[in-house]
Amino acid sequence: MGKARPQSQPSSGTRRVSVVRQALLVGAFGWVFALVANTLSPRGLSLTRDYFPASPLPATGGIGQATAGAASAVETGALGAVDQKLQEHGLEPVTDERMHALFTDARYAQELVVFIDAREARRYQEGHIPGAYLFDRYRQDEFLPSVLPACQNAESVVVYCNGGDCEDSHFAALALRDAGVPADRLGVYSGGILSWQKRGYPMETGDRGSGMMVEGVGAP
Amino acid sequence: MSATDRPESVPGNGVGERGGSLGRRLVAVVPRLLTLGLGFLFLWMGLAKALDPVGFLKLVRQYGVVEGPPWLNLLAACLPWFEAFCGALWMLGVAVRGTAAVLGVMLAAFTALVWRHALALQATTGLSFCQIRFDCGCGGGEVWICAKLAENGLLLLAAVFLLVHRPGGRGA
Repeated sequence: MGKARPQSQPSSGTRRVSVVRQALLVGAFGWVFALVANTLSPRGLSLTRDYFPASPLPATGGIGQATAGAASAVETGALGAVDQKLQEHGLEPVTDERMHALFTDARYAQELVVFIDAREARRYQEGHIPGAYLFDRYRQDEFLPSVLPACQNAESVVVYCNGGDCEDSHFAALALRDAGVPADRLGVYSGGILSWQKRGYPMETGDRGSGMMVEGVGAP
Repeated sequence: MSATDRPESVPGNGVGERGGSLGRRLVAVVPRLLTLGLGFLFLWMGLAKALDPVGFLKLVRQYGVVEGPPWLNLLAACLPWFEAFCGALWMLGVAVRGTAAVLGVMLAAFTALVWRHALALQATTGLSFCQIRFDCGCGGGEVWICAKLAENGLLLLAAVFLLVHRPGGRGA
């Protein structure tokens, strides 16, 4: 046996039990707090909704998010696979040139061609393709009522997000298809807003139709 | 050791007393500063993620640890608030050691996941390990992996220190 401890000092075993008990309490209270906070938060997530139903994209493991040089080559290689996968889901991949042609088409002004921005509202406000509708698919109930009629009346609907391995445009296109927009009218702009901006095409900031235009950063 | 071997503890030796007292105060204040600083950090990081739960959901999904509802949603919905909760406890000085144990375990697990993901990115991109940069879902946007691992290592050390230290604060 070791040295006798003063009675007022808890043994190391008692202290260990005390810490474990404290940790369990912190864990229990913490998770209850987190659940309540998520429920009360206006931005809280639904615990039961499948936000990524049957991913339309080949698994990339987040390759596009590694931002150093060599990753771009991998992204380029993956793009063909992405387009192929889109076609398998009955969605038309739309190139930069085609996207710009649609933008300058007279039908765009008549809303017979509709662009859908599938990013979050904050990104949309920072800059979007002029005239594009905002459709944050994670808050579908909020946006679908305004977006769906426009899509149903259009001859062509093109959905975009950031580009690269961003999947939101694909999921949004599938959500629109499930909501009743014919699949043969739906396309996905794989290059996304980054490619649009890089090419120097016009961008609009703020709300749809705000008229606040900014030029893209790249050469046209 | 006799009292004469320790001049700083001899009554009347002002310099020694002041030095010893300062040292004791420093020893007492370091854990409190740590809990305040780290508590603020965890609170801040947790709230940053809690305010953008969809962004965090996407980032959690990239690790492929859990898939689909309800577990993926539960993890993405609750982890940020849980982190903020633990940060608040540390800032208040409540249940410091229990919180250190919980955060230590979580930090170790996240560090392993981030490391694994970085290795996967390295294998795919062919970059050197420290050139890998991605948003790990830690609350601060994109990070260089080596810096992130070093940061997590320090946080883990701090958590272990707070776990084994015997503070005199409430709930300790």
